[in-house]
Amino acid sequence: MIDETTSETLDLSNIQGNILKGYRSDLQYVRHIALEVKDRAAARSFLARSVAGKDSGVPAITRATLWADPGPEICFNIGITFEGMRALGLPSAMLESFPTEFVEGMAKRSLKIGDFGESAAVNWAAPFDGSNRLHIIATVYAKDRARLGRVQADIARAFNVLGERDGWARSDVNVLGPAYANDGSPDNRVFFGYADSITQPRFKVPQYPDPPTTQPIAPYGTVLLGYETPLEGVRFRVPMNDELGKDGTFNSFRILAQDVQAFEAYLDEAAGLLMQLEKDQHRQVLPADGEKDIPHVKDRFGAIREFVAAQICGRWRNGTPVDKWPYAPLPNPTPEQLHDFDYDGDSPCPAGAHIRRASPRDGQIVQRAANYARQLVRRGMPYGPDFDPAKPDKAERGLLGSFIGASIGAQFEAVMCDWINLGLHNPDITRFNDPMIGANATETSVFDLRLHDGKNCRLRGFPRFVRTRGGAYAFLPSINAIEYLAKLEG
Amino acid sequence: MADDGGWLGRFVDRLPDQGWFKFLSTHVVVPFWWWREPKPKLPGGPRMAVQPGENLQRMMNLIMPLKDKTPVGRATIAMALGQNLDTLYSGLDNVGTIHFARFIIVENNLCMISTYDGDFSSYVRDFIVSIGSVFDAILVHIEGGDAVVPTKEHVEAFVDWVHDRDLFQWPDFATDLFALQDEAMGVPADRPPHEIASLSRAAVLQMKANPNLSLGSGFRSYPGFSAAQIRSKFGEGW
Ligand code: HEM
Repeated sequence: MIDETTSETLDLSNIQGNILKGYRSDLQYVRHIALEVKDRAAARSFLARSVAGKDSGVPAITRATLWADPGPEICFNIGITFEGMRALGLPSAMLESFPTEFVEGMAKRSLKIGDFGESAAVNWAAPFDGSNRLHIIATVYAKDRARLGRVQADIARAFNVLGERDGWARSDVNVLGPAYANDGSPDNRVFFGYADSITQPRFKVPQYPDPPTTQPIAPYGTVLLGYETPLEGVRFRVPMNDELGKDGTFNSFRILAQDVQAFEAYLDEAAGLLMQLEKDQHRQVLPADGEKDIPHVKDRFGAIREFVAAQICGRWRNGTPVDKWPYAPLPNPTPEQLHDFDYDGDSPCPAGAHIRRASPRDGQIVQRAANYARQLVRRGMPYGPDFDPAKPDKAERGLLGSFIGASIGAQFEAVMCDWINLGLHNPDITRFNDPMIGANATETSVFDLRLHDGKNCRLRGFPRFVRTRGGAYAFLPSINAIEYLAKLEG
Repeated sequence: MADDGGWLGRFVDRLPDQGWFKFLSTHVVVPFWWWREPKPKLPGGPRMAVQPGENLQRMMNLIMPLKDKTPVGRATIAMALGQNLDTLYSGLDNVGTIHFARFIIVENNLCMISTYDGDFSSYVRDFIVSIGSVFDAILVHIEGGDAVVPTKEHVEAFVDWVHDRDLFQWPDFATDLFALQDEAMGVPADRPPHEIASLSRAAVLQMKANPNLSLGSGFRSYPGFSAAQIRSKFGEGW
């Protein structure tokens, strides 16, 4: 699976830019615009001009080629749904070459990916509400919000804009409240207060700096069609045709609302129970005086609260991995410290923690061939108003998440179904859902903490903290494919 | 009406045993209704459930028609399987989520009956990763098998192929049939509401669309535990 000596090479100028790298460090605002193709000719001419990139009235598609400083003012990428491919006039033989899950679309795959009850597609909000009119998701990244609006106006000349969703980067103060002002945190924070966008599959792209991780190198076919995949000997079908489908990939775009108030309230409840456990049963949740090592907390209750939050995620809120530092976060973890862990042996990271479920790395799992086989490239940005725990509110806020991989079925759906919501990879967590993002119900939810005394403690009764508010499966075509779509006739 | 023992009730009750009525329903009534409201073939395999425990110990009844429907053809497939049985079983073990699997030949069909945990596509995909080449040796003797060989290069098509040949599982609650039919026809579920009295007609027409099927999701003598949970409980590792 891990081929350090692969003979495959990449043509970065044929690959859309948001697949192999993120833009957040340069551009902190993102807008996902839902588009309908009403006028084929106008849509095709927009695509042609966008690929050519010489037209001031049409944003240029950003490619994976490295840019020199200063970076671009905006980045622009597109994803096309199956209905969008049809609307652009793709010949039927090519339409038939797409995999079933993409053809059916996200809304139809709901039970498999945990979208039921309030999260069911019938309850999604426009414009990403599973409608057949959603043809293209155009994503614009910019340094400021005004710029997003100007690009949208350009796009609206060629397409019918169904609506948009905005996200922007946050620091601790935006998601954990004013007590964290000036703590110098980077702007990779998400609601629930964690550092995100740390882990990505590790690709060996000669032109890019090597990421600070010792994780095994992932084959290009993890995220690009037309290359060796992480499943030994397996090739994913290249849609359209071998030449046009190559360098494309699939995005599972999700709008995930996070109930921050309920999450913080549950941390209080759990910490209260654990304090009681220490008092009544003399169990040790944290080392004696452990609270001294945990920043931003006033007392043991506060420390235990942070400990629960860390175990739920598998990382402390500042990103420190629980696998290596189970009882207190590092004050300033280095990139190496953030990346290098793999659950070998008897890891103190709960098997049910979000990141261990979503990617079991090298830890023992039931599906022996699957350890690094379902990795996803993740691009996400928080949406909705900041959260202040002193003034908790129920406004809708959450994550605009793109989960990118060469096979929706073998990666995103397999992770959501078997790992996040069934815990099939480890018998100790099977039948229980991810405590942070799973389709939980208070009556049945279960999460086992690993306490300092080496024993487990079972938490129950937490609600579903993350609801799906919309989404779509989109194909992220290569530059060649976009050019082909632009030249279609009829 | 039929409960009062009146003559009409008795007449209607006895209808299904009457030869002329059987003839009429088979050759006139069913074809007429089929013409009026044909039902799409419903997809095979278990459906995903909201309760995680329901997504364990799921059934696959894969029916694969033999190309050669003679005793020699049956012997050929038996040999192809027999020669690879050890590899096949160690591959199934490697997948990790399979409880049981067996192969039977019925009416010139090779059938693979198995019980597995979790997502169907992941099960089939992991299976191909483990023992794709062995399965390829079997598929060349199966009608339509050539189109998906070698399986490792046709994973998506092979998952669909298996799904298509996995028996439709009749819903455990009879009235759920309406929702499945609505879904397959792409119309809103139960709008307008289905008359309960039309259930038997819907059932007969569905049996026409899916002549082979599994009656319900089957019996479990213990609640849904995964294969790995059971192995680990008995100290057999996982
Ligand atoms: C609102 C919803 C979500 C939140 C708040 C969230 C939060 C996080 C955080 C804080 C991390 C750790 C940072 C990192 O390692 O980069 C993480 C990692 C990860 N998440 Fe999520 N996540 C969400 C949804 C999802 C979904 C839907 C999936 C699955 C498809 C997913 C898959 C992953 C994966 C694969 C990792 C990296 C695990 C590793 O390799 O260590 N997340 N997430």
